[in-house]
Amino acid sequence: MNKIYGNKVAIFIFAFPTLLLFTAFVIYPIFPELIISFQENDGFKNMGYVGFKNYLNVLRDEVFWQSNLNTFIIVLISTLIGLPISLALALIMDIQSDSVRRFFKFSSVFPAVLSVTVIAQMWVAIYEPQWGLLNGILRAVRLDNLALAWLSDERTVVLAITVAFLWQYIGLNALLFYTGIKAIPKTYFEAALIDGAGFIRTSIKVTIPLLRETVKYLLTISILGCMSQFAHVRIMTAGGPGSSSRTVIYHLYYKAFSASDFGQGCAIAIIFIIECLILTFIINRYVAREKIEF
Amino acid sequence: MNRNKIIKTLISIMMIAIGLSFLFPMYWILNISFKSKSEVYDNPFGLPNEWVFNNYGDALEKFNFPRYLTNSLIYSVCTIIITIFLGSMFAYCISRMNWKYKGLALSYVSLGLIVPVQVVIIPILIMTRSLGLKGTHFGLILPYSAFALSSCVLMLYAFLRSLPMELEEAACIDGCNIYQTFFRIILPIIKPAISTQCVLIFMNTYNEFFLAFILGAEDKIRPLTVGLLNFFVSIGVNHWGQIGAAMVITSIPTVIVYAIGNEQIENALTAGAILK
Repeated sequence: MNKIYGNKVAIFIFAFPTLLLFTAFVIYPIFPELIISFQENDGFKNMGYVGFKNYLNVLRDEVFWQSNLNTFIIVLISTLIGLPISLALALIMDIQSDSVRRFFKFSSVFPAVLSVTVIAQMWVAIYEPQWGLLNGILRAVRLDNLALAWLSDERTVVLAITVAFLWQYIGLNALLFYTGIKAIPKTYFEAALIDGAGFIRTSIKVTIPLLRETVKYLLTISILGCMSQFAHVRIMTAGGPGSSSRTVIYHLYYKAFSASDFGQGCAIAIIFIIECLILTFIINRYVAREKIEF
Repeated sequence: MNRNKIIKTLISIMMIAIGLSFLFPMYWILNISFKSKSEVYDNPFGLPNEWVFNNYGDALEKFNFPRYLTNSLIYSVCTIIITIFLGSMFAYCISRMNWKYKGLALSYVSLGLIVPVQVVIIPILIMTRSLGLKGTHFGLILPYSAFALSSCVLMLYAFLRSLPMELEEAACIDGCNIYQTFFRIILPIIKPAISTQCVLIFMNTYNEFFLAFILGAEDKIRPLTVGLLNFFVSIGVNHWGQIGAAMVITSIPTVIVYAIGNEQIENALTAGAILK
């Protein structure tokens, strides 16, 4: 057995293709990216090394800070409002009858399996100022003065995009929390029941603390997903009005592909990688450091 | 009826209402897709006064649905084949074979979980251009597969690690070599994990937007997500009947698949969370 498992040729054949493909498209690109970020580059040729000029231009650009702010608004709302809502829905889902739970799972996960283009365009219709669903509801309850042009108003556009994004994934996140709850051994809940704890007490004292690892997993994927938000912005507003709803990745896309400045595009990407690494580090450092063993 | 029961019923009703609120906008768009250009403005919420079925025909004339659907399916199926084939071999190699750097190799491949594809788009575009892959399906399939590998390897590795070695030892005594052992004995056993991965990779690739948007600049290789956006841009913002029709057409395959397999899809989507 050991002889077979020590076969060097077989190990090479089994491992090399994956390592090659993975390295070529995931890890290696970071190096040319670093190099280009120090170049004046229009996407076709290098027009000389310019030191940190690209980085300075990016950092001096107000739009870059605006897009960072927008991205952090999306991250903050999704994690501080979106995830708690998903968690609450999951806790309630757990005490529903099978048929109600079945229906809720089916309908709430549905938006997450539909194409992002369909969902984003649907929200364009919902936010339509004249006949959109949202303004229709607001007018029906006599809040006419709240019926805004949601996507062409600088004050509301980022929030409007965030809500669309949240709506698409809130059900899926609830389902992920629910799966986490199901993985907790029943004895914990039985003990809580014997102690006479109700639903809310059990949730706060037993369920949520035991969900730490699910919370950590969801925090990570939700934060990274929101950080790299692009599709909803592209489809709903194309970064507008003006540049007021750009996210960092949209700004990167704009610099590299609309303004043909690959140097600045790569500089933005490098700064973005650093931001993501810091966030992942913070999550790993402060959330659920010790593993739970049931 | 006691107070607790009333509260419970109210909560159930609330859950059903929230559930319906996830479906209602889709119903509303379906409704709009049968309305004329002007009726969308005059009567946005009621059923159409006059059913305009032409919206679908008109949309299909400008929106090359069969081509985009074919492209989406090509991307999804090819990505699944490459990722599962390479990923399962790699996971097997890490979990069973004896070599010095396998722990390191596993951590290296898991790095893919924290590198968002968006950050390396510029070098990938330059690479596909210089490899002559720009404008071909492979220009998208290769990066899709590379980025799908991490979670595939981790899931299959976790599955393989929980398998006892006895089966392979028996095969080994019967004279199977390592390749026969893998393809004849191991692959059939890890089928459940592989099918979960197939669902996951399919969903991610079929709905992928960013790479397809940047690398799929030519119409003949565009998948549905980007082709649909292009249709919206070309038609302008005022003909919502046709826009709605294109949205409904695009969603039909997903709706059918989800209606049949929603439990399997839900299980696949949550499999990653339990694993870690």
